[in-house]
Amino acid sequence: MSIGHALLGLLEGGPRHGYDLKRAYDERFGQDRPLHYGQVYSTLSRLLKNGLVTDAGVEAGDGPERKRYAITDAGVTDVERWLSTPEKPEPYLQNTLYSKVVLALLSGRGATEVLDAQRSAHLTAMRELTRRKADGDLADQLICDFALFHLEADLRWLELTAARIDQLAAEVTR
Amino acid sequence: MSLVKAEGLFKSFGKTRALDGADITIRAGEVVAIMGPSGSGKSTLLHCLAGIMPPDKGTVMYRDQDLTAMGDSARSELRRTEFGFVFQFGQLVPELTCVENVALPLRLSGVKRKQAERAALDWLAKLEVDTVADQRPGETSGGQGQRVAIARALVTGPKVIFADEPTGALDSLNGERVMHLLTTAARDTGAAVVLVTHEARVAAYSDREVVVRDGRARDVEFAR
Amino acid sequence: MNRVFADLALGVRLAVGGSRKSWVRLLLQGVGIGLCVAVLLLAASVPTAFGNRQQREEAAGPVTTESADAPLLVENGSVAFRDDNVRGMYVRVLAPGAPKPPGVERLPADGEILVSPALAELLASREGELLRPRFPQKVVGTIGDEGLESPSQLRFLAGDGKIEPAEDNRVSGFGNAEYGEGLPEVMLLLSIVSAVVLLFPVLVFVSVSARLAAAQRDRRLAALRLVGAGATRVRLIASGEALAGAVVGLVIGFGLLHAVRPFVGDIPISQLALFPADVVPTLPLTLVVVVAVPALAVLTSVFAMRRLIIEPLGVVREQKPVRRRLWWRVVPALGGAALLASQAGLFGSGSKPNDAVVVGGVVLLLFAIPALLPWLVERVVSGTRGATPALQLAVRRLQLDAGTAARVVGGVAVVLAGVVTLQMIFATAEREVRGDRAASADVKHLTVDVSGNADLPQLPGVLAGVKGVVDVQELTSTYAVGPERQHFAVKIGSCDALRLSTGIGSCADGDVFVVPPASAEWGTVQTGDTIALGKARVPWTAPEVKQAAGNDTGLYITSAAVAGIGLTGELKEVQAEVDLAVPDVVEHARNAIAPYGWRVHTYFGGEDISDRVEESFSLVRNALYGAALVTLLLAAASLLVVGLEQVRERRRPLAAMAASGIPRSTLAWSLVWQNAIPLVLSTVVSVATGVVLGALVARVLDGEVVFDWAGTGLVTAVSVGMVALVTVATLPSLRRATGALGLRTE
Repeated sequence: MSIGHALLGLLEGGPRHGYDLKRAYDERFGQDRPLHYGQVYSTLSRLLKNGLVTDAGVEAGDGPERKRYAITDAGVTDVERWLSTPEKPEPYLQNTLYSKVVLALLSGRGATEVLDAQRSAHLTAMRELTRRKADGDLADQLICDFALFHLEADLRWLELTAARIDQLAAEVTR
Repeated sequence: MSLVKAEGLFKSFGKTRALDGADITIRAGEVVAIMGPSGSGKSTLLHCLAGIMPPDKGTVMYRDQDLTAMGDSARSELRRTEFGFVFQFGQLVPELTCVENVALPLRLSGVKRKQAERAALDWLAKLEVDTVADQRPGETSGGQGQRVAIARALVTGPKVIFADEPTGALDSLNGERVMHLLTTAARDTGAAVVLVTHEARVAAYSDREVVVRDGRARDVEFAR
Repeated sequence: MNRVFADLALGVRLAVGGSRKSWVRLLLQGVGIGLCVAVLLLAASVPTAFGNRQQREEAAGPVTTESADAPLLVENGSVAFRDDNVRGMYVRVLAPGAPKPPGVERLPADGEILVSPALAELLASREGELLRPRFPQKVVGTIGDEGLESPSQLRFLAGDGKIEPAEDNRVSGFGNAEYGEGLPEVMLLLSIVSAVVLLFPVLVFVSVSARLAAAQRDRRLAALRLVGAGATRVRLIASGEALAGAVVGLVIGFGLLHAVRPFVGDIPISQLALFPADVVPTLPLTLVVVVAVPALAVLTSVFAMRRLIIEPLGVVREQKPVRRRLWWRVVPALGGAALLASQAGLFGSGSKPNDAVVVGGVVLLLFAIPALLPWLVERVVSGTRGATPALQLAVRRLQLDAGTAARVVGGVAVVLAGVVTLQMIFATAEREVRGDRAASADVKHLTVDVSGNADLPQLPGVLAGVKGVVDVQELTSTYAVGPERQHFAVKIGSCDALRLSTGIGSCADGDVFVVPPASAEWGTVQTGDTIALGKARVPWTAPEVKQAAGNDTGLYITSAAVAGIGLTGELKEVQAEVDLAVPDVVEHARNAIAPYGWRVHTYFGGEDISDRVEESFSLVRNALYGAALVTLLLAAASLLVVGLEQVRERRRPLAAMAASGIPRSTLAWSLVWQNAIPLVLSTVVSVATGVVLGALVARVLDGEVVFDWAGTGLVTAVSVGMVALVTVATLPSLRRATGALGLRTE
């Protein structure tokens, strides 16, 4: 799960200052692990250095730090590439997958494409496992089946999410 | 080289739109999984592809024949000779014995009963259910029944087998077995398989998948 | 016990509660059973209808008195017109407050007449033109329903001031039991047999209707098992459902009877027309229907579950049905035949056959059909595997479940057998009636009987003046008692007059002829016998008696042979020979003598009499055809419902087969075969049973066995056509089931 991509995704909705970004991140993805300020600023400065975000002036008012950041074209491209690259099929992907779907929706991109790409990647892996199972002995079969059932669980979650995508979109973009 | 090619299929049932501009291509000998949530139009797509029901709009080509332009009896004949079918359940004639069920399509094509039943027995043996040949479908287990159905689908040497949730009523183990036998037999005879399923583990027996959503087919490979 | 009622109530709730589907099912059941109930109730009304008819007939019968101060004089009049016989009375009121027959408000004065509505209609119509001159009186009213046997009865009551008091025309009142005719013994027996034959299949259809939608019900019951109902309770619940259907059926049946009743007066067959008020089922028979129909429905639905194991997760039909055994199925056939054979030849030879035994025999033989059919169907299909796929599908289905098809078609078969039987009986009886008359069919004589209370010297002259009347002869008609107390009909007249009635050759005054009776045991008159002649029993010794041929047996005596022996007060008879080439000559001759009113009765040749005799036959026969049609329609309706049900039950395999490219024609043919095989078998069995039954009953009635092949062919063709039609009617539903939509899971 890349914090950088997540922050970039959040910035797509419009320029924000660091505190705002942390709050938005925590609200959406940080239920059990809220971000430290330090993490936010080190990540932002890395993104700034790489030209993915840019300075958008200082907001007037009190408070510790009022510098606002905006996403650059390079940043948008980077988010896009990240979203369209399926995660390597492996157990316990939900967290990443979930973030991707939410961000795709937030940024107005189709979450369906994310799901389809992921399903395709999962199925490729499952085909390989199915083939190995057909050729292997019982132990192989059991191992393959273990992996197959976990991958299937991911996909079922994906299907369910896909079925609820409208509901989710309404909730996320509110 | 495409074996079945459908373009711009539309089909409505009353106010419900089941197909809304679906495209799909099936090549000879490949196993294609049609996936999608319930009500997405998977089965309707399969029915249109197989010439069971004509679409409201669009064309379905089988080799160089336009299925949508054929009459009912011509399509029946095509389905009987070129296609094979496996459904979720209830496709075997309950009054006939298993071997008679498998021999039925051959007999309808004019094969003598003895010959037809011998061929049927061979297929039952290949699918490891020759033990229930003389029993009626009601006396067999669900897995055995589906294997008999697969034997019936394969007995005429079809070019395409259409399978609509063939493991839908089976447990995991029987489902795996049926899928393995179906795809192996199809690959051995060079038949293409169009497999409608919502289960990823079943779809994993395919070569590629086509996702149907809201009546549109997303042919992952051909779209690229 | 409370538990039992609770379960039954649950069944009723399941039947009436819930979805539209369950309402449709209940309604179908109700209509099926309702039709049967309506037919049964109509049959239960027959005793009332005939009873009331006879009561009215009796109530209209005049009671004569010896007393000289009787208030009313009545002469019976009967006016023959073509095939109809218009019955009526001529009355002369002697004292105020004279008794009135039922349906009459005011007795007609001289020159006035009351007519029944049907007669009024006939007189007003074109066909009645030639009848009008016979009723010149002024029509002053109509005879009310209570004075008529049926709405189509032709009847009149005329006033005639010229009636003179005589020995037998003084009337003190109305209501004479002797006047009720009732049905003749043969007719009664035939009617009972007809009723049994036609009502039996109705019971079959009650059970068919009660089992409609059984497959769905079984699934519902399986769901009940799932929530913990025991096997016995499931049966009780099923009984409750059947009960609900039967009760709805009873309601619909009574409703139908009520709806049909106003139309029974419009039945075009005159003998069958009834007053709607007469169509009231008798109380005991109504009770029988009300109790028996639900009982039958419940019993069959429970009996049908006998080989059904309802498990919580579904219904299991025992896969290998018990092989049907023959022995008990033959028992009714043999028993029925034996019962009928035991009564053979009893009719007319003094003792009469026992009705109960005959009816029992008929019922047993008819029951043999549904008993034997399933066995036969099973036996026939068990060996075969089916030459074509369509045949194979049909045969295999029949092998699994020969019962249902055989049971349904069996209902038709019983009707068929019954009708064949009755047709044979009628053909037999009719031939005997016709045979008697065959020779007299060419008779060209109008016979005019002169009432004993009148002397009409001008009558022959009036008749002779009618255009088309060739010859007029007078005869005296009386009887004689022979030496062994036998009675003979006697006709006395000139040689020419006698020649009109019988086939005598050369004849001279003083000759005596005899036409001997068919059976020698009834005795005959021989030369030298002394017999008592006429009402006065004048002893007279026969001179030489010559044998003659003729239709009417009896003695034919030339006037010279009995001259001067003092025969007085005998009936006079005038015979008019007519030229049939003159149109309506008979009716014109009758019109010419119309002014004589009640003093003359006419009948023409063989025609009129045979019609009158045949009236009873045609009454029962028409009733038979009408009822057979109703029953066959009922059969067709239940066949159709069962057919549709079967297609629906097998929707999925049918749809899957059609999807796999099995031509619809193959599936349609399999349906045709599935109905045709039991049908052909049942036709064979029922025609055979009908012929055997007919022959046995004909033997019981002591008749010659006559086969009515044309009628049998017709009824057979109608039933075959009906099953074909029903099969065709199920094809649209097959089409629907085999459409792609049939594949969709619910």
